Amino acid sequence: MITFLPKEFFLFDSLTIFFFAVIGLICIPSAIFSIGYLREEALKKKLISWVLLAAFILSMCFVIISGNLFSFLIFWELMSLTSYFLVVLDYKHEKSIRAGTIYLVMTHIGTACLMAAFFILYNYAGSFDYSAVKEAAFALPPSIRNIIFLLLFIGFATKAGVVPMHIWLPYAHPQAPSYVSSIMSGVMIKIAVYGMIRFFVMLLLPAPAWWGAVILVFGIISCLVGVIYALMDHDLKKLLAYHSVENIGIILLGVGAAIFFAARGVIPVAALAMCAALYHLVNHALFKGLLFLCSGSVYKATGLRDIEKMGGLIKTMPATALFFLIGAMGISALPPLNGFVSEWLTFQAFFSGAVESQGAVRIFMIVSAAALALTGGLAAACFVKAFGITFLALPRSARAREAKETGFMMKTGMALLAVPVVIFGVGAGFIAPVILRVSRAVLGVQNAEVSLYLASVLPVLIAVVVLGTALAVFLWFRFCLRTGQVRYNTWDCGYYALDSRTEYTATAFSKPFRIAFSFFLLPYHKSEKIRDSFYHVSKFMYETHTTLVFRKFFYEPLVRFVYSFAWKVRKLQPGSIHLYILYIFITLAGLIALAAIF
Amino acid sequence: MTLNIILIGFLAATFLMVIAKRITALVRTFRIQSIFLFLYTLYMGLCQQHLELFVVCGLVFILKVVVIPLVLLRIMRRINVEEDLGLLINPQLSLVIALIFAYLSYLFAHNAMGLPYSQALIAFIASMTVVCIGFFLMVGRMKALGQVIGLLVMENAIFLAASVIAGGMPFFVEIALFFDIFVFIVIVEVFVYKVNRLFTHIDTSKMQSLKG
Amino acid sequence: MLNTIMVIIGKVFALAIFAPLVSGIIRKTKNTIRMRNGPSVLQPYYNVRKLFLKDEVISKNASWIFYAAPVIVFAGSICALALVLMARPGHLVSNSAAILIAAFFVLSLGRFFMALAGLDAGSSFGGMGSSREVFISSFAEPAAFVAVFVFCMGGGDSFRVSGVLAGFALFMVVIAETSRIPVDNQETHLELTMVHEAMVLEYSGRSLALIELASHIKQMVFFIMLSWCLFPAAGTAPWGWAVFSAEIGVIGIAMAFIEISVAKMRLFRTVDFLSFSFFIALAASIASSLGL
Repeated sequence: MITFLPKEFFLFDSLTIFFFAVIGLICIPSAIFSIGYLREEALKKKLISWVLLAAFILSMCFVIISGNLFSFLIFWELMSLTSYFLVVLDYKHEKSIRAGTIYLVMTHIGTACLMAAFFILYNYAGSFDYSAVKEAAFALPPSIRNIIFLLLFIGFATKAGVVPMHIWLPYAHPQAPSYVSSIMSGVMIKIAVYGMIRFFVMLLLPAPAWWGAVILVFGIISCLVGVIYALMDHDLKKLLAYHSVENIGIILLGVGAAIFFAARGVIPVAALAMCAALYHLVNHALFKGLLFLCSGSVYKATGLRDIEKMGGLIKTMPATALFFLIGAMGISALPPLNGFVSEWLTFQAFFSGAVESQGAVRIFMIVSAAALALTGGLAAACFVKAFGITFLALPRSARAREAKETGFMMKTGMALLAVPVVIFGVGAGFIAPVILRVSRAVLGVQNAEVSLYLASVLPVLIAVVVLGTALAVFLWFRFCLRTGQVRYNTWDCGYYALDSRTEYTATAFSKPFRIAFSFFLLPYHKSEKIRDSFYHVSKFMYETHTTLVFRKFFYEPLVRFVYSFAWKVRKLQPGSIHLYILYIFITLAGLIALAAIF
Repeated sequence: MTLNIILIGFLAATFLMVIAKRITALVRTFRIQSIFLFLYTLYMGLCQQHLELFVVCGLVFILKVVVIPLVLLRIMRRINVEEDLGLLINPQLSLVIALIFAYLSYLFAHNAMGLPYSQALIAFIASMTVVCIGFFLMVGRMKALGQVIGLLVMENAIFLAASVIAGGMPFFVEIALFFDIFVFIVIVEVFVYKVNRLFTHIDTSKMQSLKG
Repeated sequence: MLNTIMVIIGKVFALAIFAPLVSGIIRKTKNTIRMRNGPSVLQPYYNVRKLFLKDEVISKNASWIFYAAPVIVFAGSICALALVLMARPGHLVSNSAAILIAAFFVLSLGRFFMALAGLDAGSSFGGMGSSREVFISSFAEPAAFVAVFVFCMGGGDSFRVSGVLAGFALFMVVIAETSRIPVDNQETHLELTMVHEAMVLEYSGRSLALIELASHIKQMVFFIMLSWCLFPAAGTAPWGWAVFSAEIGVIGIAMAFIEISVAKMRLFRTVDFLSFSFFIALAASIASSLGL
């Protein structure tokens, strides 16, 4: 199949096959899920959804296998457009339209930067082919190369959701239907990382070390910002979208470290870092896809996305709860699942890098590791909140009480993603060497000495010890320690009137974090008292908000500036056709005069 | 010599168009301008004895002298609009502007194009002036027919310039051009009728109220 | 190979049985300083035995997570103990930092499920405890990781400035992780002051016994790590076990002294406390990069 595609346009190597694997692993379960999700919709809507979905997946595949800058751009645009249409599929909601608009604008800003960079490359290389670009890259003057790097980085970072270009993610991913969100979050933003790896590591050689440092710094910022905003959000899908920002930050930590160490010549560390990044890429695709599908299942059953109104779903939706738990354990990097292996490999990469370097670089690596540790802790906290408030304890609203488990197709889709999450964790001994091979091919080295012995042994060991001990304790309880159990009310300090309103809420759960990070979140509250008379307050409303810093201080002034500029330009356009013809005439006369003078 | 007289007539007809205050006046002076164009092409054809030139000449006569003015006058009668053309700039000032255009095109043709003093230069200046006047008609007249006539005037002038400087455009280009003009007129006839039926006027300066 | 596995299993058993004694020693020390008699040093063993023989009262709102969490916490802490014993520098594998970090992750597995179980019963106490516990532990992680990195980079065979600083940072993290004053009070049941205790408020009987055992073993794990940081190059001498017990005892007594001397901090001050420990760990890393 591969041989009859024309060689000028298509390119197959380890990286593309790896990404094909990622696409296949996520898109097939999502497609199966969508069969169940769209069961009650009209036929027309089903057809449109599936056609768009197929076009989306195909365009992503073609982006990966493009061997040509031009076809890359074409399929990139196609990917963005089809995903836009998928986001606004529910066009009757005003939020969907708004989300789609923000997404479209941001992705086109990114594509504009990409186009600029590609055309500069074409100027120097003479052709659009990757091989020609690779040859020309050696001869590029450093300033041009840096400009290309910055343009490409901004372009890919906008698509990947790196802070500060991430604002479209929390709008677009919640509004899209869940199977689309899982593919967008699991695969599409990884295509941007593919672009970064392809261009910075494989094409624009030799890459100076400061590129890696820049990517690393942006990775750290994205990690922390993403997870802090995720802690504050109580919309299930918006929370997951912010976690995508965080995990892209973690992937970029690995990629940045790989570029940094490759530039300094420490190849084994670079290979390990790239391996960790690629492993986290596929892991995040798996568990984020799984989590989005579970949230879709919850939405289908309850009609709710706000976790403050859910609760107790573990008793009525046990399968969804189990899959969500597996996904939550994966994303919180708990052993022996896959998130643990990839984060642990990233730590190993930082540690090896710190051992091999001196002075400021060592401290930089250690600080990056500390940032990663902090985000890991905060991510686990956020998922305790998400899983606990959604699934555990008592239902907080009528809809949550009446939820029913979702259908077979949806469960199959979720299971098809949950099983790889476990396998990629426990079976790291088989998966990690494969990914290391890909990482070696990406970096262009064949014999980097990277020992994956620990990575293969530890997850299995931990799984065996934990499960073995748990089983031993369970058996001991069952057969030796025959004590009784009494089911009674939760401890209520003697009030006897506890119901779901006295449970802990998600806002309360994340309040310590809101206070700890208040220098960044800038929370504010609004309260309103509605009085009957001076002495009697009939209603008291209290709202607490966090300021969206990037939106408020960066994007809103920009948008306001654009609008005010547009209003000023509008004065040139009074709507009179005579004036427009006069403009044409004046331009023509001016051009003739100009031609006459020169 | 004859050519110069024809050119003078051409230019005079154009100036008459500039000061015209009524639609029928405009259309009739357009007919006069086209007659002069026809005479010019006829003279060129007689000089060079090319069959194509005679065909073109005939086309000019049929289309621009006979058909188009007839069509335009018919529209006027059908939509029964008042004869006032709606001048944005009064006739005296328009004439001054037309004269300024003439001077500017003289400057341009002489200094920038570098043509020597000859027949060609004068004809070129005349055509450039008429192009500018055509633009001016489009800009300075409120009713829709003002724009239509402006476009037709420009087309006339470019045709003249092409035949003076380049010895005529390629035959097929001229045929295509005529066909375009013909189709344009037919469409315009329908549109002006419809516009009048919808808005009860054909005043294009009122299009400003459509602004969002 | 099999020999080393048996040795490690034996060590795990021994240390797991030894662990509650350390808590007993700490409590006895505190009470002695307070000039009280207090319970005996073996009291934790009596507590665990009592709890194993009692019936359980389980909330009606609880799900399978409530049942699973104590078992997972216990299994996690045993696994962490095994990992820490394997990571002893120069013992089984050389990549000790990686294994120690894996041990931290295993402990966070236990903490994840405990926090979930706290939310499971649907009481405000549980939610409050879970929220505070994950809050404190997420800030403790960076400091711990950096301290472990720095210490392992040093090699752990002689007194180094970086090692001592890392040990100091790790000591503060251990105070937070083992729920000691000034971060948390193990002896309180007031909702204003509970962190760990609030999470396990709903537990009784054998589950509570498992949880208590797990927290003793977790404390032992951290004390072992601290002993490597603060007393390097020991434990390989002929009287290895005696020296090791002495080290753990010294750390326990130091912990007791600190618990007596200071008051418990406000919850939001623990962020300051843990970031202070992070900066000490960062200073340790600077010292190590300078070669000290």
